[in-house]
Amino acid sequence: MININSILGSIFKENNSENNNLEKLKISRVDLEKRILRKKTNLGTDIGINLNSSTKLQHGDIIGNNEIKIIVEQIPEKVISVKLKEDDEKIAILLGHIIGNRHRPIAIKDKMILFPIQEDSELEIFQRLFKEIIDHIELKIEEEIFLPHTSADVHEH
Amino acid sequence: MTHIPRIGIGGPVGSGKSMLIERLVPMLAEVGYSISIISNDVISKEDADRIRNNLATKKGLLPENMVIGLATGGCPHTAVREDPSMNLAIIEEMEDNHPELDLIIIESGGDNITTTFSPILADYFIYIIDVAGGDKYPRKGGLGITNCDLLLINKIDLAELVGANLEIMKTDAEKIRKEKPFEFINCKTDQGIKKIAEHIIHDLLLDSQPKSNNLKKV
Repeated sequence: MININSILGSIFKENNSENNNLEKLKISRVDLEKRILRKKTNLGTDIGINLNSSTKLQHGDIIGNNEIKIIVEQIPEKVISVKLKEDDEKIAILLGHIIGNRHRPIAIKDKMILFPIQEDSELEIFQRLFKEIIDHIELKIEEEIFLPHTSADVHEH
Repeated sequence: MTHIPRIGIGGPVGSGKSMLIERLVPMLAEVGYSISIISNDVISKEDADRIRNNLATKKGLLPENMVIGLATGGCPHTAVREDPSMNLAIIEEMEDNHPELDLIIIESGGDNITTTFSPILADYFIYIIDVAGGDKYPRKGGLGITNCDLLLINKIDLAELVGANLEIMKTDAEKIRKEKPFEFINCKTDQGIKKIAEHIIHDLLLDSQPKSNNLKKV
């Protein structure tokens, strides 16, 4: 097992073509929150991560030691994207209130609000919850690397 | 401050959380790991008293003050997820005063299938259900079942009596858990408990030796 106690860098901060050939460690968003984690890379290298409390893994981080470098890849997940059909503060506030009441983390991207779901059937649940504003929004299920807004780092029911 | 690895154990009322601790701790203690237990409950401290009596007073596997009862006064998941400050305060004291500990086990009060532990509080999350809830349990999902690090299906000796099909539970658990592990266990007879200890030593303790081994060498 290779012990990892720190993060060496990030592919998003270092423009290095060699990074494309590194081993990958695929981790879910939930597991990225962990301080201690044991997983295998795409090539089967056994990795034991044990970070201090001030360090948190992120998508694109480079970890490893003098002999091996590994890229952390967050696993894509299902999200619902909500797009407002027109700029309307009232609709935006109501939308935030309804999503907040379900205690979902959110991401804001290209004027869309995204939040994670576990099953496609949740689309129907949210269509019902949004019934008062449903004519003003577009809902879609997508699969992507969900990077929650840090101010919305909350629990999920 | 030393960070002592922490396991959170959650599950519905009566699924076997306390019994799991009573069966698991002796196996880990036998190979030298020092353990402390925090047992959360809404009002009473009955589970903590029972665990202390069975593991500390009767068996002497840990000092009596290493089993702590915490009456949270609210929804059990609140104290381990939304606002884990009461648990964290105890843990900080433990880490200050007992750096020799290898592991802290935090038992949540009985709760529903959406129970999860804040990653600030627990490094490893075990969710336990039992066959008496029906063989539909794993496929119904819920954050506890899908997101925990190790899913345990307890009381398998009762499966036939309650009409639960273990094959269905196995197939559904494999499907919903993907590559994440699950185990069938029976806390009453210790069936499957050794495997849980192995998961913990491998995935959480990262195969580290008990700290007491290092002390012996000095």
